[in-house]
Amino acid sequence: MNNLTLDLVFAAGLVFLGLYCLLFMRNIIKLLIGVEIIAKGVTLGFISGGFARDSVFLAQCLVITVIVVEVSVMAAALAIVIRLYRHNDSLDIRRLTRLKG
Amino acid sequence: MELILLIILAGSAVTAVFLHDLLKSALSLILASIVLAIIFFMKNAAYAGVFEISVVAGLIMVLFIAVISMTKHEGILLRESGFPLILFPVIFSLFAVAGIFVINRLMLQVNAGNTLQGTFGQFLWEKRTLDLAGQAAVILAGVIVVLSLFRKGKEDE
Amino acid sequence: MLGYVLIPLVLAGLLPLVSRFSRKFLLDFLPNVALFCLLLYSLASQSGNIDSIVRQLFWFGQPVGLNLCIDGFSRLMLFLIYLVSFAVSIYSVSYADAENLGSKAYYYGLILVIVAGLSGLVMSSDIFSIYVFLEVAAVASYGLTAYSRGAEETEGAFKYLLLSAVASGLILFGIVLLYSFTGALDLGEIFIAARNPNNRAVVMVCMSMFIAGFGLKSALVPFHTWMPDAYTASPATLPALSSGLLIKVSGVYALTRIISVFGLNPAVSLVVVYAGVVSVVIGTLLAIGQTDFRRLLAYSSISQVGYVFLGIGLCTPLGITGGLFHLFNHSLAKSLLFFNAGSLEQSTGTRDLSKFGGLGKRMPITAGTSVVGSLSVAGIPPLNGFWSKLIIIIALVQSGHPCIALIGVLASVVTLWYFLLVQSRAFFGKLNDTWKGVRESGFWMSSASLFMALICIFIGIFFALFVKSWIKPAASAIMQGMNYVRF
Repeated sequence: MNNLTLDLVFAAGLVFLGLYCLLFMRNIIKLLIGVEIIAKGVTLGFISGGFARDSVFLAQCLVITVIVVEVSVMAAALAIVIRLYRHNDSLDIRRLTRLKG
Repeated sequence: MELILLIILAGSAVTAVFLHDLLKSALSLILASIVLAIIFFMKNAAYAGVFEISVVAGLIMVLFIAVISMTKHEGILLRESGFPLILFPVIFSLFAVAGIFVINRLMLQVNAGNTLQGTFGQFLWEKRTLDLAGQAAVILAGVIVVLSLFRKGKEDE
Repeated sequence: MLGYVLIPLVLAGLLPLVSRFSRKFLLDFLPNVALFCLLLYSLASQSGNIDSIVRQLFWFGQPVGLNLCIDGFSRLMLFLIYLVSFAVSIYSVSYADAENLGSKAYYYGLILVIVAGLSGLVMSSDIFSIYVFLEVAAVASYGLTAYSRGAEETEGAFKYLLLSAVASGLILFGIVLLYSFTGALDLGEIFIAARNPNNRAVVMVCMSMFIAGFGLKSALVPFHTWMPDAYTASPATLPALSSGLLIKVSGVYALTRIISVFGLNPAVSLVVVYAGVVSVVIGTLLAIGQTDFRRLLAYSSISQVGYVFLGIGLCTPLGITGGLFHLFNHSLAKSLLFFNAGSLEQSTGTRDLSKFGGLGKRMPITAGTSVVGSLSVAGIPPLNGFWSKLIIIIALVQSGHPCIALIGVLASVVTLWYFLLVQSRAFFGKLNDTWKGVRESGFWMSSASLFMALICIFIGIFFALFVKSWIKPAASAIMQGMNYVRF
């Protein structure tokens, strides 16, 4: 099992962990941690791919862009979470049942 | 060496997901970021490593911790069920086996890309300018979203 | 060409400053004028019969890495983007006032950022740039969904955000695999790499990630769950923008580009067609029992996007033509219907269909345009929806899927049935006493609805001309894959 395979398996594993977190966790801030872990998996994948292809510069550009996008998404998400907390007074996703059908 | 780092990364990510206390989760995620940045440095991706530490382990985590302290009251009281934690190793091992199998299948040949000249700054500015414009746009979008969600309204508390 | 992206962005950034000088007039005026000018520009650029423009831009004499490409498909999308966003912007002039949405600077800013992101998406020649602009539009749409900050819309926005983040993660991972194994990011490079027989397995895995990711963005079943929640309580312009544009551009356009670049693969075609059929059926079925007008429209959107995927998944020229035409028509009609939903909601204060009754007498314009929109979605001649559905059904029969064609026709009939039910219950019949004092909605809202309805009728009558001059170049651009010149 060479280097790239190892790294990509771990990257895929991180993405999987993030998806698992999104499926099963109840605290909405935990859900955002799940999104963050997916992003980590993806950046690990990019850098490993770039390293194996000997073009680390390009990979770094992509990773930096992904990190910046992630910041923006997280900021918007956390703002929405604060709004949710003020409305429901709870961080439980099971309380979000106003919309049905 | 790298395998050890990857295992620490995966381990801290797992603890970040399954810990009950949100603050400890966030700290474990910061550890994961730092380890990831070390892995980046080992692969000659210095810029990405610096960015990872300063932005993810810095900015995003600060935002997280701010929100966690703002919602402290409920955050401690919410207990997750133990069920996902038990199920996790089972599903994960299945996934790991499948993943290793798939990726080995994909690994026919990985040819090297073209060699690059110049410095990183030149590369970023000249080759990926559209990405830079996109980054500016997404930052603008995020700023407008946060500002609009916190604007002074009639029904504001 | 860069103006398509830059002008809305710069305007979005400047609007908060402008709002300090002039509270009302300038804030309304600037975005509408800008969008209108860009709409005219996109219309005019069609007259030159150039196949595809690839531009390398220069900055102070140095070549700068901005490769923009506009071919027939992009041009169609740009026209659609500016058409719908211009109508939304006009609609917002009176809508935002009446809804007490506070300062309109941020509201218009979000709309403009969505427009800029989508324009950048259709013009980018690089799969990673597609992702970046997708996120730009998505982040702005999260903000717009939660804009009125009530309890319901915040919940809908959060669910939308989570699922959209999952989609972005899947798309990114597909790009990671593609990049690690083939090193191709530019669409032209991907075109070459996908033809390489060594890369077959990589193409398959990446394709499945992309179908899942972009399918989630375009509310393909089983990834459709975010849509009804996100559309229920947000300001009415969000579903008009999202269902009319975001789904189409970030979902269907991106997936179609990728399918056309990767090559037309029978397995992929099968998956897309069957996903389309399932969407059509489930969307139609779930719409039947709805009493909330917006959720009904959301489920109907899911089924119509299924039609579009049916057409495109066939990968025959006729199928792609039908799919694209239906994409265009549905954007127009669905935005129109969401405008009407917003007008109804504003005048009566409720979204519950069972409470409406006989409003046609008090709100004639809303009723009339609503009928046009409903008939267009259901596919009744001579409106535009009829022709596009007909083309898709013919294409299905031609490529040997007669039972799917039958399902399509049946779903169309059911759609017609429940839309007529909605119309008769809401607008015709006896006037419910509670609504005696209801007035027609404001001038700008009515004119935006009229504008869209007139375009629907116009395209329905002159559909042959429209198909020949707009849709055919787009379809041929997809069919021949990408012929980019690398710089």
